[in-house]
Amino acid sequence: MKESCRRTDERLTPYADDALPAAERAEVERHLTACPPCRREAAHEEGGRTLLRERSSHLKCEALPPGLRTRCEALARQYTARRHAPSWRAGLARGVVAAFAVLIAAGLALSVATRRSDTVLAAQLTADHVKCFRIFAKDNSPGLDAADVEQHLRDEYGWDVRVPPSAPEQGIQLIGARRCLYGEGTMPHVMYRVNGKNVSLYMLDGVRRPPAELTGLGYRSRIWSRGATTYVMVSSDSGADLVRAAQYVMQKVQ
Amino acid sequence: MLGRRQPPDPDAFAAEVLAFLDPLYATALRLTRNRADAQDLVQDTLVKAFRFADRFERGTNLKAWLYTILHNTWRNRRRDAARDTVEVDSERVEEASSTSSGPAEIDTPEQILLRDTLDADLQAALDDLPEAFRQAVWLRDVEEFTYAEIAQMLGVPIGTVMSRISRGRRLLYERLSASHGSARVGAGRR
Repeated sequence: MKESCRRTDERLTPYADDALPAAERAEVERHLTACPPCRREAAHEEGGRTLLRERSSHLKCEALPPGLRTRCEALARQYTARRHAPSWRAGLARGVVAAFAVLIAAGLALSVATRRSDTVLAAQLTADHVKCFRIFAKDNSPGLDAADVEQHLRDEYGWDVRVPPSAPEQGIQLIGARRCLYGEGTMPHVMYRVNGKNVSLYMLDGVRRPPAELTGLGYRSRIWSRGATTYVMVSSDSGADLVRAAQYVMQKVQ
Repeated sequence: MLGRRQPPDPDAFAAEVLAFLDPLYATALRLTRNRADAQDLVQDTLVKAFRFADRFERGTNLKAWLYTILHNTWRNRRRDAARDTVEVDSERVEEASSTSSGPAEIDTPEQILLRDTLDADLQAALDDLPEAFRQAVWLRDVEEFTYAEIAQMLGVPIGTVMSRISRGRRLLYERLSASHGSARVGAGRR
């Protein structure tokens, strides 16, 4: 490539974007007039640019998948709730009486916040449960070996977790494991099918929460802790199957 | 107090971030070419945006800041998933395409191509571009960021950004012209 062609070629992008100073622009135009190969390159650059820009609104038009907005809004609510949390230090500075009042208020606020955070957590995990089963599980997903799933979680994400295996006699089948995102980070999401119903098991390491049972969006979540891990099970089934599956998992992860 | 960053108002910040959800998802989808990965990428981006909200300087470009997080997150994820292969691959393609002259003379006028190219074809051609070029043309021609903003998002010099935009635009045009030409011949239209 000739030096003048190379210099022109380097400037075809800002030339097409009309971002060159006048003197350089004139120089590029002089060269293009005299050089058909560079003129062809300039036409291709302009052609690609025009195609993308004229169609940009169509290209950008992608419907958000169900659940994504809900999960992102939950993240936003958690963030604003954290930022609006009252500062107890300011209360203490006003004296002993005020300090007691603040402490009592803080205690109450904490219990409300915890309950609310259970609700937020359950809502996030319910949305993830629906998404993962819709995208990743097939009706005929084969049962998986628990040791393979544990190995996968260790190799892919560095998690050393105990995955309860399938229990055919109880109608429990292990069908997959993924990484799940929630407000505070990531955690293992293990997927089961219990007598044909989709059941998710989430494991939050280093977190202890009091046991709770919540219902929302037509799904039921059971939360409990063992050691330094909190477990959450989510299912659309509120009957005996979920209870049995939860008992089975509790027993296996001990 | 001079020079200290003002933390954003939490409610306004959260609302502004959520307002960019649609373009973030569209960009994540073009980047990952996979709906499940795009969802994870957007959610991961928001987790980080809220966690590091204090690092955002009020009055600066929030969209560019979010896109920087999105691209960094994607880059780290790719690096974790397959060390080196991505970079090597992109660089090789970059070199190869800069020496190739593309298809020979193409007589199809730009206007005909523009009129006859379907959105789906354009999207498919865009998805077929090497990742480095796809990112660059998307950020410049679809999202209309400046060269400097893109350079910061991708962590590369401005010269590299321009060269990737240039290669991306020309490859896209040449591939669409070629397929458009062969489709016309194959279908025997007109």
